[in-house]
Amino acid sequence: MRRLTSLLLLAATLALTAPAVAQVRAPDGAPNPTASSVNEEMLFKQDPTIHGRISIPNATAANLIQPQGREWRQFREAWLPWIGALAVLGMLGALAAFYFTRGRIRLEHSEESGKKILRFNSFERFSHWMTASCFIVLSLSGLNYIFGKRLLMPLIGPEAFATLAQYAKYAHIYLAWPFMLGVLFMLVLWIKDNIPGRIDWIWLKQGGGLLGDAHPSAGRFNAGQKMIFWMVVGFGFAMGATGLMMIFPFAVTDINGMQVMQVIHSLIGVVFIAGILAHIYIGSLGMEGAYDAMGSGEVDLAWAKVHHDLWVKEQQAKTASGPQLGRGQVPAE
Amino acid sequence: MKAFLVAVAAALVLASAASFLLAENQRFAYQAFATSGARVSDPGTNLVGPRWTGDIAEPGKAGHKAEAGS
Repeated sequence: MRRLTSLLLLAATLALTAPAVAQVRAPDGAPNPTASSVNEEMLFKQDPTIHGRISIPNATAANLIQPQGREWRQFREAWLPWIGALAVLGMLGALAAFYFTRGRIRLEHSEESGKKILRFNSFERFSHWMTASCFIVLSLSGLNYIFGKRLLMPLIGPEAFATLAQYAKYAHIYLAWPFMLGVLFMLVLWIKDNIPGRIDWIWLKQGGGLLGDAHPSAGRFNAGQKMIFWMVVGFGFAMGATGLMMIFPFAVTDINGMQVMQVIHSLIGVVFIAGILAHIYIGSLGMEGAYDAMGSGEVDLAWAKVHHDLWVKEQQAKTASGPQLGRGQVPAE
Repeated sequence: MKAFLVAVAAALVLASAASFLLAENQRFAYQAFATSGARVSDPGTNLVGPRWTGDIAEPGKAGHKAEAGS
């Protein structure tokens, strides 16, 4: 009797489930035996990643599928090249337009033309050039990560590109260290002269003298230079922090975190390059006399009085009040 | 110009020091993840060979083509 009951229950169960199985068919009507099997979508409803169990100590190797990686790849392969091209080429276009409309800002001659005043000492110039030379290599090797396989590889071939990209990667990882040190040096050297003040607001309202013939007053650094300084310090620290998390994988964050770091690093990187292009332009081609400040360290006194009048007054007051007096001398009463 | 040359030289020296220190503190996966209970063998070169030709021997030495599934 018990066996008969079991058989009847089994028959009833089969009768109830059979139509459901029969309904699972492929779009063309053919039976689809794998339609009800466990699939990726079902697994992702239970956990954000698909992972297994492994016996080696590297726990990260257990990760099989991580969907955020697809979003990161989409950004890396589809969005980033366009954002990077827009930032870099957009800035180059804007600078070219500015050059052809405004022209080069010429040195204004006066009675004090030819006299020199020290603007940056040797260590300041050393710190600037160490950071700058590293930045140029970091920029080019960074742009190679984004555009190399698209622009360079078709020109030089895959083997030459592979070698070049490998050395570019080494340069990127190793020159990051003197770059970070240079940013630290510049922060310590120039922070006292880059505190924003009311004079900067006036400078900005007058367009910094770039748009007209007026030359608004400025201290050692004008508002534009202060913006460059804070951009270099802020972006420099951000690039350093995000870069270190990629140089030392899994030390601070997991694979998701490292992908986020790469997104931040690359976005800041292209904006950083665009900002520094503007800095290079105004420090060389855009303004006559500006390069001397970082070239020889000395600038024309007439140029300094026009562009940094408050700083010149400060320097002349310092010279008049102290160093001119020799040992044993006292000011006349 | 002198400040620039010294800066470039200093950058190269610091980069070389960084490369040395990073290499000193880095181990291959087969070294890092080997334990007393699990020995991970040295994979040697990559699976397609140093020249990406499928010949896994060093250039100039006798080798064989890598086979799928081997």
